[in-house]
Amino acid sequence: MKRLLAFSVIAATIVAACTSTTTTSTPSGSAATGQHPKIGLVTDVGGLNDKSFNSLADQGRQQAQSQLDVTTSVTESKQQADYVPNLTKYAQDKYDLVIGVGFLMQNAVWKVAKQFPSVKFAIIDGAPNDDAGAVQNLPNVANLFFKEQEAGYVVGVIAAFMAKNKVGAATHNTVCSMGGIPIPPVDRYIAGYQDAVKTISPTTKIINGYSNDFVDQQKGLEVGKSHIAQGCDILFQVAGGSGLGYIQAAKAAGVYAIGVDADQASVAPGTVITSALKKVDQAVFQTVRAVRLGTFKAGDNFFNAANGGVGFGAVDKIVPADAKAAATTALADIASGKITPKDTVQVKP
Amino acid sequence: MNQEQAATTGPGTASPAPSVRQLTFQWAAGPAIPVLSVVIALLLGAIFVQLSGKDAIAAYSALVQGAFGTPYDITETLVSAIPLVLTGLAVAVAFRTGLFNIGAQGQLLVGALAAGWAGAQFATWPGIILMPVVILFGIAGGAFYGGIVGFLKAVRGVNEVITTIMLNYTIVFVMHWLLQAGPMTAQNALGTPASTPIGAGARLPVIIPNELVLFSRLHAGIILAAVAVVLFWFLLWRTPLGYQLRAVGLGPRAAAQAGIDPARHMVLVMAIAGGFAGLGGMIEVSGVFGRVYDGFSSSYGFDAIAVALLGKNSPLGIVFAALLFGAFVHGGAYMQSHAGISSNLVAIIQAFVLFVIAAETLVRALTRRRRGARKPVEAIA
Repeated sequence: MKRLLAFSVIAATIVAACTSTTTTSTPSGSAATGQHPKIGLVTDVGGLNDKSFNSLADQGRQQAQSQLDVTTSVTESKQQADYVPNLTKYAQDKYDLVIGVGFLMQNAVWKVAKQFPSVKFAIIDGAPNDDAGAVQNLPNVANLFFKEQEAGYVVGVIAAFMAKNKVGAATHNTVCSMGGIPIPPVDRYIAGYQDAVKTISPTTKIINGYSNDFVDQQKGLEVGKSHIAQGCDILFQVAGGSGLGYIQAAKAAGVYAIGVDADQASVAPGTVITSALKKVDQAVFQTVRAVRLGTFKAGDNFFNAANGGVGFGAVDKIVPADAKAAATTALADIASGKITPKDTVQVKP
Repeated sequence: MNQEQAATTGPGTASPAPSVRQLTFQWAAGPAIPVLSVVIALLLGAIFVQLSGKDAIAAYSALVQGAFGTPYDITETLVSAIPLVLTGLAVAVAFRTGLFNIGAQGQLLVGALAAGWAGAQFATWPGIILMPVVILFGIAGGAFYGGIVGFLKAVRGVNEVITTIMLNYTIVFVMHWLLQAGPMTAQNALGTPASTPIGAGARLPVIIPNELVLFSRLHAGIILAAVAVVLFWFLLWRTPLGYQLRAVGLGPRAAAQAGIDPARHMVLVMAIAGGFAGLGGMIEVSGVFGRVYDGFSSSYGFDAIAVALLGKNSPLGIVFAALLFGAFVHGGAYMQSHAGISSNLVAIIQAFVLFVIAAETLVRALTRRRRGARKPVEAIA
């Protein structure tokens, strides 16, 4: 009996693992240009269940599959050496658009796109990089970038309101942020965040730090503890997996955190008051639609508040209604061009 | 493998010359168990595909088509198999000496870092000098890292399983430091943690011309891997040192009685194992990437344990097992994109292969005990 039970548990797990991929590919017929294009998505090593970039990109692919007249397919990369063959395979099979997820694929996209000039490519959060690491834009590659500072600004508005009005546990009038590594996409988030706080609540103290890691939760936890010891009540993480440790530090101390990239409310309900969103799914969907409509644009494409590419996630009930309303207004003002958030960090560690 | 197996697994009892039938049976029994375990694993995998509501036949035909469907796919399968051959040898040579080397992963990374450092540091040197230097750095890096394990085991009796696992972690973090914001970090990597690119002379050339197979990545590393396989065979079965290593593996106390120093051989064999894995790391850097990426290898060293077990620690067996696993890696991606079945199925099949092999060993051990009589142990000559 016991053995049977154990076996069924294992069986159920494995079945779940098999079915977790929701590929709906029907590789039939060759696509004429513009008509019923074929779209291939290649994840980075994070895999489809990373609850972040890759899973969001796949959501965008599924949305395109169901709403646009396209055929789509997805391939997970298991290791760095898989990027080139996975991209090549789609290009060889005459797919119309091949999308690579994440800056880790910058060099692989450059290598493959150069060899298949008639196939369109897109890379999320990056641009083609040659072997020496220099950006080499190609006429068949779209670089999908985000205005992170706009998402950072909007969550900064909520943080500023919480700090200024001393809402709940936010009693020290101090807000903090932690990046993974000081690279441009990380710093743009932090720059917008600081800009909003300085604008709305000039008296609020701002602290910023880096965990120097995107994976290790322990490092994020240590930085978080140190920030809380300095009076931080609101902690904005821009450090991927390492940032989850930063959120844990906030949870343990009973203060608040802000998530990044995806909606991270479920990471620590009641602690995460909102999240700065990078809508990778929208970037994928809109790029597929551009190919479908024949409006594909190579080179830099920016996803911002104006085209729904960035925004903020679910807002916790502790956040006052006026703060939430101010964030919504700020997002609209950024979209209309009334506010232009700064993209360089003012308060350094 | 087969003749070798027949010779080494022959009955140790002083029986008269075995009949032809007996020899044929032994010859067939060599590869029979690994082949059977793969078949059973594939059948079990098929059951799970069917249970998840997908078509197992479609899955496997996509897997085969993805791995061997076009000349390009065949070369990619080979590219995937190369590092597994090297790490497989690293595990097998230790197994043959009675050590369980879980550290092929770490040894491969050290070899990659050493080769990547040398390739970038001396980038301007001509290939004829730089290539041997980079190969030596790769081997030496891995050998050093493996040697630590052997040294600790010989001097302090520290279990090699524990030290290899710990050293795997150590190098992952050293690699983070070196490549994210450390001395090896490329200045212009644009957020991708990576080392400075190696010089042109340190790149292993692609050996299939574009006219033959378009865009093939198959590089000269396959030649290095072939040489390593021959070296492995020659070392273990054609040199006194190899004889001693295998003697230690079959019975360290008996070997010590015979005047073989097990401690010295532990250090030596772990350094040799590390050298194989380090060469694997060097090949990946020189043949595939042209630089060291942080965390570029997730599983070569761990798949190697399965490769060595499936290949029964024999040279040809390891080559076939690595080819099979390489086909799984490359074909798995195609299976996902064209049959809609998660490439995780490949990991499931690999796990079943291990289960079946482990079960076979277990069953044999149990039946042996039940019979009460020990089967004759492998002869070592």
